[in-house]
Amino acid sequence: MARALAILALLLLGWTAPLNAAPEGTMTWGLHVTLASRWLDPAETEALITPFMVLYAIHDALVKPMPAGPNTPSLAESWSVSKDGLTYEFVLRKLATFHNGDPVSADDVKFSFDRYKGAAAKLLKDKVREVQVVDARRVRFHLKEPWPDFMTFYGTSASGAAWIVPRKYVEKVGDDGFKKAPVGAGPYRVVSFTPGVELVMEAFDGYWRKTPSVKRLVFRSIPEEATRAAALKNGEVDIVYLLSGPIAEDVRRTPSLQLVPSQPPAVFWLEFLDQWDPKSPWHDRRVRLAASLAIDRQAVNQAETLGFSRPTGSIIPRAFEYALSFDPPPYDPRRAKQLLVEAGYPNGFDAGDFYPFPPYTSMGEAVAGYLQALGIRTRIQTMERATFLTAWREKKFKGLVMGITGAAGNAATRLEAYVTNGGIYAYGVVPEVEDLFQRQAREQDRARRETLLHQIQKILHERVMHAPIYELAFIWGVGPRVEESGADLIKGHAYSAPYEDLRLRKQ
Amino acid sequence: MKGYILRRLGYSLVSLFLLSVTIFLFVRVTGDPAVLLVEPGASKDDLEMIRQQFGLDQPLPVQYGSFITSLLRGDFGQSFYYRTPVLELYLSRLPHSLLLAGAAMVFSLVVGIPTGIIAAVRVNRWWDSVGKIFALLGLSMPSFWVGLLMILFFSVYLGWLPSSGSGTLLHLVMPAIALGWVFAAAHMRLTRSSMLEVLGSEYVKLARLKGLPEALVISKHAFKNALIPVLTLAGINLVIMVNVAVVVETVFAWPGVGRLLYEGIAFRDFPVVQATVLLGGAMIVIVNLLVDILYAVIDPRIRY
Repeated sequence: MARALAILALLLLGWTAPLNAAPEGTMTWGLHVTLASRWLDPAETEALITPFMVLYAIHDALVKPMPAGPNTPSLAESWSVSKDGLTYEFVLRKLATFHNGDPVSADDVKFSFDRYKGAAAKLLKDKVREVQVVDARRVRFHLKEPWPDFMTFYGTSASGAAWIVPRKYVEKVGDDGFKKAPVGAGPYRVVSFTPGVELVMEAFDGYWRKTPSVKRLVFRSIPEEATRAAALKNGEVDIVYLLSGPIAEDVRRTPSLQLVPSQPPAVFWLEFLDQWDPKSPWHDRRVRLAASLAIDRQAVNQAETLGFSRPTGSIIPRAFEYALSFDPPPYDPRRAKQLLVEAGYPNGFDAGDFYPFPPYTSMGEAVAGYLQALGIRTRIQTMERATFLTAWREKKFKGLVMGITGAAGNAATRLEAYVTNGGIYAYGVVPEVEDLFQRQAREQDRARRETLLHQIQKILHERVMHAPIYELAFIWGVGPRVEESGADLIKGHAYSAPYEDLRLRKQ
Repeated sequence: MKGYILRRLGYSLVSLFLLSVTIFLFVRVTGDPAVLLVEPGASKDDLEMIRQQFGLDQPLPVQYGSFITSLLRGDFGQSFYYRTPVLELYLSRLPHSLLLAGAAMVFSLVVGIPTGIIAAVRVNRWWDSVGKIFALLGLSMPSFWVGLLMILFFSVYLGWLPSSGSGTLLHLVMPAIALGWVFAAAHMRLTRSSMLEVLGSEYVKLARLKGLPEALVISKHAFKNALIPVLTLAGINLVIMVNVAVVVETVFAWPGVGRLLYEGIAFRDFPVVQATVLLGGAMIVIVNLLVDILYAVIDPRIRY
């Protein structure tokens, strides 16, 4: 009997050993961005995907995008919404603790929401009447009125409001102290941070989901692309972000290295700013369609992103909730020419200025070249990014803009900025689209809301309000030591995640 | 001498005040920083909230008043990008810049001055030609290009040196050479021309007529006098190296003040740009003052 028990114990140990294996090794990233202190504090998360690169390691959210879906329960083991759509209740996990050993409590959830001042903070606080701590593990969000997008803003990377910080610790060290020595509930805790230079983290063995496999993560800022690639080839780093053109090609040719694309929700498109002016050639749908058919999207994709991007027929990313997918318009210069003739422009026309989104000038030149071949003559205007965005937003442009955005959200939030009355980049609005948009914003039934949003997307497509180009691939270089880089495990996330799922090859 | 230094200090303060007004206004005409801190599709509310947090919704005179009163308390403000005190950031980067600038300066002087002296002494001969080629390459090859070539050769191809970052002496080698070469070229050219001028002077001819050994003529009579303009240039160059090694620091991911300035400009991080320029300006003022005092030490004829 004793012998049998001993064998059973050995078998059990042998079975569980790989699951509980201690974290080992170091994985190092060469980042294209400068590491900012504010990314260590979820309260300051701006409307960018970049801070989530750090948040996924150090902190955790009640609900967040994960491989299982965009609103996956994390620190909350479950969440539910009342029938009237006014109350959202979250039940916290028993095992979740912060790095300092404190349990994650409902009080921390309320505190984190109250101190949140990042992206969509005003919107969330305008819509939420009260955050009620029911008990230590249960918290309710009471809304002022039903808001179907609550979980889109609270439970995705559209905001950092659901990422929880320890109340007691923050109150003890203050906001600045927290940024210097953050304590989170994520899979890694901070070992050292040099702003702008390097962040070193170590596996937190008390993480509720699993103990990470890699012991140490190091993020190093290497802003110059050629240097990042050299560091990867040299074995100084294991993963580098943002490679393009000849440098990416060189990495692809290196036998021990891999090029890996991730697909953030970023779409390029051509915006016909003058289509709202009845005197402009762009007012004619046939001219807009001609321009769209004249662009060889696959060739541009090949030249700019080595073919990793995904040509598209919509300005809404396919991965977004409520997205309606359209095939990319075919490259058909003959039909484009015919449409231009039918519209009364057999010799083309002077379309004025063309503003490519900085720094994508070469892509803008390629698109302008296709228009030129059709007879639509433009002048490329290169601008500095802040100046460009300000001028676009203040509606000072005329002619064409090649735009891109990677803002998180869903089809409704993406449409709002570009095709509705409230849209900061909308140069004109189709009344029918505006009406449908207002209706979907009040619609509680998911299926009916989807129908309304699909109707909007169909109208935009039929009217050729934009010439979508492609969903941008964000290209990484991955070194030979990496077994699981975390690329595209979470749909629409540009960076490695979840970090606890990453693995190094056994040496 | 004391009166002169006090007078110079007064002028310096006026210069720094004018610099503060200029840089405050100039950074603000470059665009709205809020749009660079969010995705292009971010909402109006998000943009407005950022502007309020940074005080950019206030009128310019109010912003300047707040800036200057904080400055008088030694507070350079909070970085828009990092959200930490700018002075703290600057001081964390300064040692790296001083180290890099120091190493680059040593390289530029050790290489530039002897080459310049030899080129002047052996004018229009083989050594002079080598010096001219060295100077031509240093001045005409952009430092980012030199840096990238060095990374490819020494780091990727030979695997001798780390491609980027800081922390060890090996990390310092390539950035110091990439940054120092152009200054070595400048020091070499100035040493050469200064030496040529001095070697043709009456007192050097007299020294030779007295039968002094050539080595003594060059080292004691010529070089010491030829050194003054080189020293002036080196002093200014050191400040330039510390503050504007933007390209080299970016290529080698060196965490110095130049990279901080580059990031500040790229992100419209007004407090960072203001602080970096003002502190750089203060450094130039101090170094100029020190160089003037050094003149008097080197050349006994100079009296204030």
